[in-house]
Amino acid sequence: MRLTVNGVEHDVLSPPLATLLHVLREELAITSPKAGCLQGGCGACTVLVDGEPRRACLTPIAAIDGASVSTVEGLGAPDDLSVVQAAFHAHYAAQCGFCTSGFMMAAQALVDSDGQASREEVIAALSGHICRCTGYVKIIDAVTAAVNGDVRTAETDIDMGPRDEETITLVPGSPA
Amino acid sequence: MKAVGARLPRYDGLAHITGRTQYVDDVRIHGTLWTKALRSPHHHAAVRSIDTSRAEALPGVHAVVTAQDVPRNVYGHLEALGVPADEPLLAEGDVRWKGQVIAAVAAESEEIALAAVDAIDVEFEEREAVFDIRRAADPDAPTFHQWGPVYPHFGPHNHRRVRKGDVDRAFDEADVIVEGVYRPQAIEHVPMETQVALAVPEASGRLTIYSCTQAMYFSMGVVAAHLQWPLSKLKFVGGTVGGGFGGKVDTATETICALLAIKSRRPVKWRFTREEEFLVSSTRAPWHIELRDAVTTDGWILGRRTLTLHDAGAYARFSPYGVTKHAFHHTGAYTIPNVRFDGFVVFTNRVPTTAMRGFGVTSVSLAVELHLSRVADVLGMDPLELRLKNANRVGDTTGNRVVLHDPSTVAVTLAAAEAAGHEVGEEYRSMTSDRRTGDLLPEHLVEQQAPEGAHMATFDPTLTNGGGH
Amino acid sequence: MAGTLEATEVVVPTSRQDAVAAFGDGGDVTVVAGGTIVVPEITHGRLRPRRAVLLGKAGLAHVTRERGRTTIGAMTAVSELEGLPEPLGATARNVADIEVRRQATLGGNLCAPPGVESPRGDLQAALIALGAQVRSAGPGGERTDPVEDLLVTGPEGRLVLEVEFADPQAGAQSSVRRPHAHAYTILNVCAARTGGEVRVGVSGAGPRAARCRAVEEAFAQAGDAEAAAARILDDVTPHDDALASAWYRSRTLPVLVGRALTDLS
Repeated sequence: MRLTVNGVEHDVLSPPLATLLHVLREELAITSPKAGCLQGGCGACTVLVDGEPRRACLTPIAAIDGASVSTVEGLGAPDDLSVVQAAFHAHYAAQCGFCTSGFMMAAQALVDSDGQASREEVIAALSGHICRCTGYVKIIDAVTAAVNGDVRTAETDIDMGPRDEETITLVPGSPA
Repeated sequence: MKAVGARLPRYDGLAHITGRTQYVDDVRIHGTLWTKALRSPHHHAAVRSIDTSRAEALPGVHAVVTAQDVPRNVYGHLEALGVPADEPLLAEGDVRWKGQVIAAVAAESEEIALAAVDAIDVEFEEREAVFDIRRAADPDAPTFHQWGPVYPHFGPHNHRRVRKGDVDRAFDEADVIVEGVYRPQAIEHVPMETQVALAVPEASGRLTIYSCTQAMYFSMGVVAAHLQWPLSKLKFVGGTVGGGFGGKVDTATETICALLAIKSRRPVKWRFTREEEFLVSSTRAPWHIELRDAVTTDGWILGRRTLTLHDAGAYARFSPYGVTKHAFHHTGAYTIPNVRFDGFVVFTNRVPTTAMRGFGVTSVSLAVELHLSRVADVLGMDPLELRLKNANRVGDTTGNRVVLHDPSTVAVTLAAAEAAGHEVGEEYRSMTSDRRTGDLLPEHLVEQQAPEGAHMATFDPTLTNGGGH
Repeated sequence: MAGTLEATEVVVPTSRQDAVAAFGDGGDVTVVAGGTIVVPEITHGRLRPRRAVLLGKAGLAHVTRERGRTTIGAMTAVSELEGLPEPLGATARNVADIEVRRQATLGGNLCAPPGVESPRGDLQAALIALGAQVRSAGPGGERTDPVEDLLVTGPEGRLVLEVEFADPQAGAQSSVRRPHAHAYTILNVCAARTGGEVRVGVSGAGPRAARCRAVEEAFAQAGDAEAAAARILDDVTPHDDALASAWYRSRTLPVLVGRALTDLS
């Protein structure tokens, strides 16, 4: 079996009925898609297969032999974020982060399928994804922004960088 | 304090959105074995024999562990706080809840591990099981825990007690007694990341354990206790937890992974399936809360009697602590001068329960608020006005004699009323949290009011729970 | 590394004929369509196929609409059914979420194992209401069955190839509203009038969907939706499961059937 993952071609050694999730995580060490339920019910394993969002935990690789797979690792790097990633970061759309990869790939599919999308359409597109931390609002904000081309960077109000001009004197016996 | 109120990037944000955050299951160590557990199919049974020989003989199986392999099998989560141990890591002699781990296997693949679990033979003798805390509290109910039907180590008592004032007199003097029973049910945390741990033996003989625990040092202590190892032999690696909400304080997988890693001399990982997470991981507890309030027709709550039953499941774990927290909050955000609280930790043949956001407190808050609305209904009084009248104020003392310096009940209730478009009477609209005087200091609230400037109420350690009748 | 997944013979036929040949008489063969039902069973070790036939490339995904009839290939994704005549469209839209609907198939849904813990096979009720005919291969060769008959004899012994129905004059669907996309449709009631005749199918009351002939007869005689709906428990025996009790189902079904019949008129 062969799979092209994030632009790189791989010969797959796993058995033909192994799931795409298993191949990505265990064989190719691509760990952004997560094993949330292994039943296709939570969306944490969603990746793009030939541009379409697919539950990797439901997809035997023999069914997609030769396909092209996209995961978060192929979206962008910390210093070169894609539109979807920048939106998630700017809108605080991740807390524990475990569901984030699945949401972002679903969002990427929306961004790729041209045109605008209303908030309701975004919600419908993401409705199969579960998040237990954020309460969804910020995720929907982020994806709606990304899909409609409204992207802002994650500016911060204050500079939390190193303060090397400042010295701190420790007095023995007193709280620092 | 420049950061408060400012927009700051999450320190882990970039890692999350580039797929680089490393959760335990993302750690890749060459040669890692998969773990599966043999779990009790019965709610309550004697274990007559365990035969793991067929499992051990399967190709690809590197280790099987049972109670015999645990240097110290029985350890309690709160032992460090003086709560005696009651729970075996691996079942020994009996099983007390469906899903309790009897044995665990480390194998080359998940499939082999599952096949090995199927190959372990266990002889059971089923026993009667009890699932409901009210039933379990009946004198004629079957008991299974070595301590009896309830946890007995609240000092000299078998329940958590709060006593203040003269609750019998309050009930005599009341115009109306309002009763209610509240039964919030178990809730499963459903973290997106299931329970998982990875134990890696180092050449030095130490163990590195990657853990999803919310309580790193606590889990380290639990593992060290079971293994009878010094802490210095363990290295715990945490990091981002994929959702915990209180459910990842139970050290659910670490110790068994450690045992398998030691026995097999290989890295061992145990990742719960979503089904295990739902069926056998600990939950928020079911509670049974009975409130009886002695009230006057003009809306004063003179006294409260509370009986709480907390469902610990099959073992104590953190339940005594949860009931204690619950006891602190049984008067809610309101000043009730005469109270009698009895809270029991009751054992049932269910999944042992654990912490979940607001451990012990959400249950009593729910009960208190529902009950106050019931009281208002009985009295024909506005539910928010009832709350404002009885609200904690500066100088009031709680049921545990904590003196309140800055209670927010009045402000929050008025803000909520405004936000909800709920009008309260004029005298209520101008209420503050200021120290009670005049009409807001009736006779029955005088004794509970702490002297001005007092930080602590009187405490007599010779009396049960520090005072009261 | 030993493992039963290694031992599975996997066949990926590239034509309808090859699929039929690979299925053979269906003995000891696991058919994988969209994978939404079968793959989790394999992942959790509950199903260890000796021989698996993956249908994704067999050319069985197609929708043809001509001369007042609709033909749907077994591998057509549930998402492709959302715009088809009611009650099929509404039923399809209520299955899981958009991503699962893109992977799940008509054939897989039709052949869903009898529901014990979770009601699958919602489409069965819609196909019954539409009077669908099912073309399948297996022992004895290819044949066509009314869908409600195939559901009784058990579709698991057959390789479903396609379904066909005459486009209805009217169609209606009624179910307990799902709170969110992760919820199953507990009860699905479908009704359709084709060629003057009304058919009613219900899923979620019993292991598989069933045709409701007592309801149909009463409705045909008197045209009174409520009175006809009251006959529903003559046709189905609701069961208890984790999602809903038999009691709840028994109370709710007449209401849903009544609504479907009323909407039809």
